[in-house]
Amino acid sequence: MTAEAVAAPAVRPVRPRGPGRHALALLAPGIVALLLTYAMPLVWVLRMSLNESGEGGLIRQTVSFATFAEVLSSAHWWNVIGQTVELGVLVTVCTLVVSYPLALFLARTTSRWRGLLVALAVTPLLISSVARTFGWMAILGNQGLVNKTLGELGIISEPLQLANNLTGVVIASTEIYMPFAILAMISGFGRLDPELEHAAASLGAPRRTVFRRVVLPLTLPGVLTAALMVFVLSLSGYVTPRLIGGGRVFVLATEIYDQATTALDWPVAAVLSVLLLALFGVVIAVYLRAQKVLEARFTGPQGARS
Amino acid sequence: MGDTPHLVLSGLAKTYPGADGAAVRGIDLTVERGRILAVLGPSGCGKSTTLRLIAGLVAPTAGRIEVDGRDLTDVPVHRRDMGVVFQSYALFPHLDVARNVAFGLEMRAVGKAEVKRRVGEALELVRLGHLAGRRIAQLSGGQQQRVALARALVVEPSVLLLDEPLSNLDARLRSTMQDEIGRIQRETGITTVFVTHDQQEALSMADSVAVMNEGRIEQTGTPQDIYERPARPFVARFVGRANMVEGTSRGRDGERTLVELPGLGKVPAAGDPVETGRPATVMLRPHRIALAAAAPESGGARGTVLSAAYAGETVAYRVRLGDDGPVLDVERPTGSEASHGPGAEVALSWDPEAPRLVADPS
Ligand SMILES: Nc1ncnc2c1ncn2[C@@H]1O[C@H](COP(=O)(O)OP(=O)(O)OP(=O)(O)O)[C@@H](O)[C@H]1O
Ligand SMILES: [Mg+2]
Repeated sequence: MTAEAVAAPAVRPVRPRGPGRHALALLAPGIVALLLTYAMPLVWVLRMSLNESGEGGLIRQTVSFATFAEVLSSAHWWNVIGQTVELGVLVTVCTLVVSYPLALFLARTTSRWRGLLVALAVTPLLISSVARTFGWMAILGNQGLVNKTLGELGIISEPLQLANNLTGVVIASTEIYMPFAILAMISGFGRLDPELEHAAASLGAPRRTVFRRVVLPLTLPGVLTAALMVFVLSLSGYVTPRLIGGGRVFVLATEIYDQATTALDWPVAAVLSVLLLALFGVVIAVYLRAQKVLEARFTGPQGARS
Repeated sequence: MGDTPHLVLSGLAKTYPGADGAAVRGIDLTVERGRILAVLGPSGCGKSTTLRLIAGLVAPTAGRIEVDGRDLTDVPVHRRDMGVVFQSYALFPHLDVARNVAFGLEMRAVGKAEVKRRVGEALELVRLGHLAGRRIAQLSGGQQQRVALARALVVEPSVLLLDEPLSNLDARLRSTMQDEIGRIQRETGITTVFVTHDQQEALSMADSVAVMNEGRIEQTGTPQDIYERPARPFVARFVGRANMVEGTSRGRDGERTLVELPGLGKVPAAGDPVETGRPATVMLRPHRIALAAAAPESGGARGTVLSAAYAGETVAYRVRLGDDGPVLDVERPTGSEASHGPGAEVALSWDPEAPRLVADPS
């Protein structure tokens, strides 16, 4: 009996296993690629941001925060940061407002065309955002579709200023980011169940109340994810602010490009890049916080679990 | 309570857009005030559709729904004043238990203090007072079901509709909840329609049972009517287990009809008379047949045991009548009598009330 007990395999402590050799081998290509394309340039940018710039595109190799101090004490750069955030907020709000009804419809429809409709909603992604931006220039410009039509109908005498300013960038960006927002929302609307709406109606809620008390709260997580996505995309967006902004909309992405290629001031470009990165950090922190608050409403406070 | 019709369905029909056939094909039903009606039928027969029609969640293609004589056909869901308990419970995941239950009261603009009092009472009724602050995700299936019940009851609806409310529960919890729903329904006196595919549940909980098949009502009656006097073979087979033996009518014998059955001879059967010489179907419930070891030269029905399956409280036998007659299911309680192994010769007997004529649909 004792011999059996000793031999019983079940009592042997199980050693926690680390990742095997195979797992490491499988991970290697990805890790190498990430190191080369992501980590190394990042380190390089961080290093560059600590240099100072001399005259004529010279770079003084040091380790100092002088360039940071120079950028952060300039009203111009603060303006650029402000406009970046402003554009991000405006684009995010507009995109969410326009995409929400579409996403809600696509998530709830039981039509057999649903798959096709979802595919249609994202087909704009097949066309490069450069081409779509040019399309918007043709629509929004002073000689564009909108102004031509309104002018010929005699509704306006002066062309509306729809391009070469923030308005135009917001309009075009909204359309460009809509497919992303719709996809993010549809996948985030998982808790939406038509039976919940039926239940609310059977309890006496008219349609508007059903939306306000049931549909909206249940779709907020999806809206939040879409908001994060659009905000981050628009913070880093370059093509649309550059082309439709017509040189009058200054955001971090366009300024980094200019500093790096035109002014050849790499330390300033690097500092702006680091600031943009910090902005992303703030946005993601806010997102995680908001997500936690929402999640707590579904599952209750952590302490009350189990 | 009384015998005044409260909920009346007449000629109710529904064809879903794009579907080949109708889901519900003309239903007539009456539920008296304060009574429980069970709608019983196999999967896909249109039970849920019927309930959804009553609740107003789908629009009928034909027919009327009346409550207290008032036509509800064009009244939208939120003004029908019906409590619905969905099969999936459909509890709001973003609200806690108390706020789920409070939802309907808030829609009726009930004052804060009264909402609190009535939510408390409703939760006590379903014995969940201690879980008022819980999230839905933190409840067991049975608890969720009781929250759904409390949420539907708290608004004191004129009619309570339950769609297979117990089908997701284990056997023990199901029987507890059957008792609780029965108790709550008696305490509140709300007219109730509940859908189920479990015949035991329908028989034990309802004042009357409507058996549905392929979008139609096959029979409506008290549980005793349905079980003991099924109007059609479908009802006999679906509600409880039944041996259906086909034979020929050989005329009347007092109150009963004599039916000549293969392997059994002439058997008197109660039920609507069948003309002499016409085919007739006789139903014999397995538990109403008694078995005894056959004495060599005794008369009466005899047969051979084909198989005997032990199931705890009962033994289920299959017995072939005569040498090549039909096979009957027989169910005997264990313990009180001798058991019979396969191959045993047995004599079969039953009380004269047991065989019943069941009309074939024509
Ligand atoms: N929304 C719908 N669109 C089309 N057909 C439907 C729809 N809902 C139900 N049906 C069909 O109508 C018929 C009746 O469905 P119903 O849900 O009423 O059945 P049920 O008796 O409740 O079945 P179960 O016991 O499986 O719940 C089925 O054939 C089903 O396929
Ligand atoms: Mg159903």
